[in-house]
Amino acid sequence: MAKESKAKKKISFPMIARYNYVIQYFVEVGLEQEYVMQPRLTRRTMELGAKYAPDMVCTPFKTILGSMIESLEAGADTLMMSMGYCRLGYYGELAQQILKDLGYEFDYVNFAEYTTGKNKDYLKALKRLCPDIRPVRAGKAGMNALKMVEYIDEIEDLYYQNCGFETEKGAYKKALNRFYSDMSHARSMRAIQEGYRRCLNAFRNIPVDKGISPLRVGLVGEYFTIMDDFSNLDLEQTLADMGVEVHRWMNLSHRNLHYPGEKNLNVRIRDLCRYEMGPTSTANIWQAREYARKGFDGIIHLKSAGCTPEIDVMPVLQRIGEEEKIPILYLTYDAQTANAGLLTRIEAFYDMIEMRKQMK
Amino acid sequence: MALKDYARKQAQEKEPITVGIPRAFLYYRNGTLWREYFRTLGVHLVISQPTNRKIEEDGMKAAIDEMCLAMKIYLGHVKSLIGKCDYILIPRVVDFGIRRVYCTSFEGLPDIARNVFRNENIQILSYNVNVQGKKDEESAMILMARELGFSAREGKNAYRAGRKAADREFASKVKAAEALYRRNGLRVAVGAHSYIAEDDYIGKPVIDMLKKMNVIPIRADFVDRKKARERANEISPTLKWDFSREIAGGIAMHMKQIDGIILLSAYPCALDSMVDDMIVRKAEGTRIPILQLTLDAQTGTAGVETRLESFIDILRMNRGASGQELSREKEEELIEAMDAGKTQGEGAEA
Repeated sequence: MAKESKAKKKISFPMIARYNYVIQYFVEVGLEQEYVMQPRLTRRTMELGAKYAPDMVCTPFKTILGSMIESLEAGADTLMMSMGYCRLGYYGELAQQILKDLGYEFDYVNFAEYTTGKNKDYLKALKRLCPDIRPVRAGKAGMNALKMVEYIDEIEDLYYQNCGFETEKGAYKKALNRFYSDMSHARSMRAIQEGYRRCLNAFRNIPVDKGISPLRVGLVGEYFTIMDDFSNLDLEQTLADMGVEVHRWMNLSHRNLHYPGEKNLNVRIRDLCRYEMGPTSTANIWQAREYARKGFDGIIHLKSAGCTPEIDVMPVLQRIGEEEKIPILYLTYDAQTANAGLLTRIEAFYDMIEMRKQMK
Repeated sequence: MALKDYARKQAQEKEPITVGIPRAFLYYRNGTLWREYFRTLGVHLVISQPTNRKIEEDGMKAAIDEMCLAMKIYLGHVKSLIGKCDYILIPRVVDFGIRRVYCTSFEGLPDIARNVFRNENIQILSYNVNVQGKKDEESAMILMARELGFSAREGKNAYRAGRKAADREFASKVKAAEALYRRNGLRVAVGAHSYIAEDDYIGKPVIDMLKKMNVIPIRADFVDRKKARERANEISPTLKWDFSREIAGGIAMHMKQIDGIILLSAYPCALDSMVDDMIVRKAEGTRIPILQLTLDAQTGTAGVETRLESFIDILRMNRGASGQELSREKEEELIEAMDAGKTQGEGAEA
């Protein structure tokens, strides 16, 4: 009784792609606290963020800051933020300072503060989120949450590779939306698996007409922008709607849960690159060349404005484009990037790769 | 001496190696270390010319449009060395420990140059500092000596000689800076990366302008680096970049001895984009005026000069009026003038 009367923390984490369902699951099941689901990212989020963030910072900071404000507006009293390799590692503290200066009051758990060289110390951050944490329960929920990440990634892979070719318009989207809704409500491993299987079955039963050889485009680029559909203005859907099979290696499963490790990955691109150039560089360079060698029709490299590590990778990608003879479209997203201008560029790219394919 | 080593020595004596060093980026931090290191090894050095218009333009042509001005200039220097030496020294530095990280561009530097100049005959000499990955500077530079055909012992001696000379030189710079904080006059802390502040083409002219205005510019990062990092840690615990911590800590350590702060950065600097904002926020309430000045390839010096003059006027008023506040109208007038200067500068960019 005493335990139940204790007020739960209202925790929130900045919106990124669909992974907030996972965090919600972990916070509510593993940490037994309340998760506050803020609205999905919109122009308003971006405008809020851009208004208070420094001008020259990379775009995801603006989106994340905006999303934090929306979390607080939605009633969160505790915000979480992750650590990171590039500027991402300083996002947490600057965002906190800006929000404080704006007058917001909240509890803040910044994982970057727990970077000590020992991964074990990140557990201390969890302890702060939930002082009477039950380690076994949290551990189990953690494992299930990671499983949910894998399911989301697998379903999205299947979705963007196939939805452009459905014969019954909207069938894929319907199944996907059901899946997202299932994930947002799942509070047990069973519910997670049921939702996953239901979606997989639904996908299997949707008739698809791909012709003999459909256009295939591979996406590489910056971690946040490539995974978050709002931040890339729904690039994958746009391409799929044109009738393209869209492939994206970069997701949490590949980059974080099953990453082969920098050293072993670097071996595959040693002729292009001697060292790791940034947090996602090796994977992107490797994947770009994989797409080319698998006979893809084009590659799109996307990043937020000012993303230094991804800018630095571009000379290598240009070289891959030359050596493997594959067209690469470079897209940069900033707070002002508008749909219309972007669409023109994507359409032109589509026309070009389609013509190239016909000439082959 | 082993026979193998003897053969190597023989080969070197016949054809001494020439290494080219781009006068950009880490040259301003490590120049003495490198010069002494290679001198001890008996390697010939070519150092690229101070940055000039041609170097900048070549760099801009070679670079990706969105790279920062400092990277463009760096690539210009690399280009100017191609064909003039056997190897070009392009180190890779990831970090010197936890929260002593370098900008990711230093992590990619050798590979950026290798790929940018892929169609030219470029031979890169590199060493890899990644302390969190258990590769410290000393062992990295010993390894580099061995790659050039020297023994590990020779490499170690060269590194030690270089490190010693560099530390001694830096200590004297710190001493000189500390003396400036005690000098009479208008003292302005300049927060800038060494490769901006000391570059003859971009940052140095700004420092010279300040001197001409009878101001005492003091480099914030000429400070006991360890103390500055600790100080920065108190202000901003997750600040992870070595350079930024030196600058932020250096400023914080001398807040009582300065009249103003100029944050000088190159467009678009990843680190400064966040850290400058943090410095401004943390300094709020201290009444020390801060000017953020961003240099890009098109910045006209006229725009910069106007902004500097207005800023210095404010500092003078602040000080002259010690006791009597700067009148509200006068302050607004000056701010307007500063903004006008800013728009002028931006107009030149377009």
